[in-house]
Amino acid sequence: MNFTRRTLGKLAVGLAAASCLISAPAMAQDKPAPFDKPGDVKIALVRYLSTGDFFQAYLSGVEAQAKALGVDLRVFDSRQDAALQADMVDQAIALGVDGIIIQHGLTESMKEAAQRAVDAGIKVVAFDVNVENPKIPQIEQSDRDLARLALEQAVKDNGEAWKAGYVYVAGIAPLDRRDETWKEFKAKYPGIEEVAMFGTLDNPIANSVANQARSVLTANPGIQVMFAPYDEFAKGVKIAVDEAGLSSDIKIYSADVSTSDIAAMREPGSAWVATAATNPAVVGQVSVRALAQLLAGEEVGQSVIIPPTLITQKDLNDNDIKNMEELSAKLPQFAHAEVAISPWIALPGK
Amino acid sequence: MTLRDFAIRYGFIALLVGLVVFFTVSTDGFASPQAAVFIFQSVAITGILALGVTATLVVGGFDLSIGSVATTAMMAAAYVMVIMEQNAFVAVVVCLAIGVVVGLINGYLIVYMRVPDLLATLGMMFLLVGLQRIPTEGRSIATGMTMPDGSTANGTFSGAFLALGRHRFDFILPNLIPVSVVVLVVLAVLIWFFLEYTRFGRMMYAVGSNPKAAELAGAPVKAYKIWAYVISGVFASISGILLAARLGRGDIASGNNLLLDSVAAALIGFAVLGAAKPNAFGTAVGALFVGILLQGLTMMNAPYYTQDFVKGAVLVVALVFTFALSNKGRT
Repeated sequence: MNFTRRTLGKLAVGLAAASCLISAPAMAQDKPAPFDKPGDVKIALVRYLSTGDFFQAYLSGVEAQAKALGVDLRVFDSRQDAALQADMVDQAIALGVDGIIIQHGLTESMKEAAQRAVDAGIKVVAFDVNVENPKIPQIEQSDRDLARLALEQAVKDNGEAWKAGYVYVAGIAPLDRRDETWKEFKAKYPGIEEVAMFGTLDNPIANSVANQARSVLTANPGIQVMFAPYDEFAKGVKIAVDEAGLSSDIKIYSADVSTSDIAAMREPGSAWVATAATNPAVVGQVSVRALAQLLAGEEVGQSVIIPPTLITQKDLNDNDIKNMEELSAKLPQFAHAEVAISPWIALPGK
Repeated sequence: MTLRDFAIRYGFIALLVGLVVFFTVSTDGFASPQAAVFIFQSVAITGILALGVTATLVVGGFDLSIGSVATTAMMAAAYVMVIMEQNAFVAVVVCLAIGVVVGLINGYLIVYMRVPDLLATLGMMFLLVGLQRIPTEGRSIATGMTMPDGSTANGTFSGAFLALGRHRFDFILPNLIPVSVVVLVVLAVLIWFFLEYTRFGRMMYAVGSNPKAAELAGAPVKAYKIWAYVISGVFASISGILLAARLGRGDIASGNNLLLDSVAAALIGFAVLGAAKPNAFGTAVGALFVGILLQGLTMMNAPYYTQDFVKGAVLVVALVFTFALSNKGRT
């Protein structure tokens, strides 16, 4: 190899760059403003939905990340009152917060309130609500990826040709997004034959779906796979499969996870073999981290997507996982997402 | 008997038979013992609720709280077993006690506080929907769940309790008939016999058709009314027990769909055999009718919204049978 002046030059530039990289973490110890004094940073979480396991876990994630950063977190809970939620944003503005997380809500009621917050110089992020504002990043769990992970596992387990039952109710945004992926899969694998589609949201959902699934199983013997991309659906299908005595002939793939789902998946001989899920606590953490990055003046982008995790029956049994806490502890990819990470942001529990 | 009389008396039964024939011809597997069993199973819970609400209809009242009584009983059963770690017997007793207490309160509000029945039971419905969420701060109950104070619930649904939802009795074929269906049939026969053939039941009809006359004749009208709500509360809690046993966890649910389906069954029952009044046999047939229709449609791959449509259509037709064709409806 001939060393010319040019290659030497390149080497020098490379070395210089490398030394920069090495020194970068050292510089990162100094937290950017305003996080050099984190106790003075006030952020608000303005919630629309709060009852239920998912929202409880989301809140715990927000609290954990806020604590790790050392910021002052205020929680406003509108309990599904859209007008009150908008008022609460104004309340947060009056309180002089530096950042606001809007968690769910209606586009119509939140759009203007969010704009007022932005006008007041407050940084805002929104989780699962589109406030139609280019300055407000969207935090999302990817429903398409959820469905894709579950279906890829189904193809891995059952090959590319099977008879499927599909549970779906149109008009529910996350289910509609999951449905798009199902349609793509059917187009990609012509061997997958959807012999029945059913579904209902009559509550208790699992009971109503179980009744329907019993009929479907009788009318369509030979179904090998049930795709039920919502855990309440999967629970209902599992009851029907058990009652029909078909647990060893049918495999159920779903999305979302909860403690009772884990128990159902781990029952001996359970037909529910896999589910894809995003950890709501992680979504909460990412919401706070994205807001912190905005406050520090870093680029966040229009949407922040949290990747889901595939959870199989085998994972649960091998690690003896009994509830959501153990799931986070024993499946590291479920407990943490490499999203909205900056070196100066301390992660919860570390 | 004129054709018109025949239509009023047997029209609905004929429709039911026609429906069975239609589904038998057009779907595979409809005419099998297994299909018959799961149709019964699918209507067991709403059917029991409907039989309970029939008792309140008989005394001229109405009970909107049954759906939430059922879901509250379901949550209570889960709470008793999973969090308090008690056995199946305690869980069942607690559920039944809830039914009795709610029935007594409903009856007391309506009879002594003179609150109109719809309003009193509407209030009770909201109260129960909220109440069932208070102990767990709005979470569903399952084994291994984390409690609000951070501890883990270690109790499990006992095997004996789950058997109420999952055990099957041998009948013609082994493991055919689930417990819930047996409970439905037993309760239906009981309430039918009670309302039609006992003095107590006939007096309830008397109270319903003319409370003033019944009172003047010396009947304790208030007591009969309260009893009707207690019956409805207990039936609702029984269906809550069966629901919990089938699902194997305590699910947060308002039970509104249960309420609507069961009221529909009871109202359809008015039309059966031209009774034009609440009656247990009609209610059972009404529940079965809705069940056959829905399960048959599901087997034919009909989407869920058509099922609501069909349910509504059946109800309207049944009400027409009751009120337009039958002279008894013209009061």
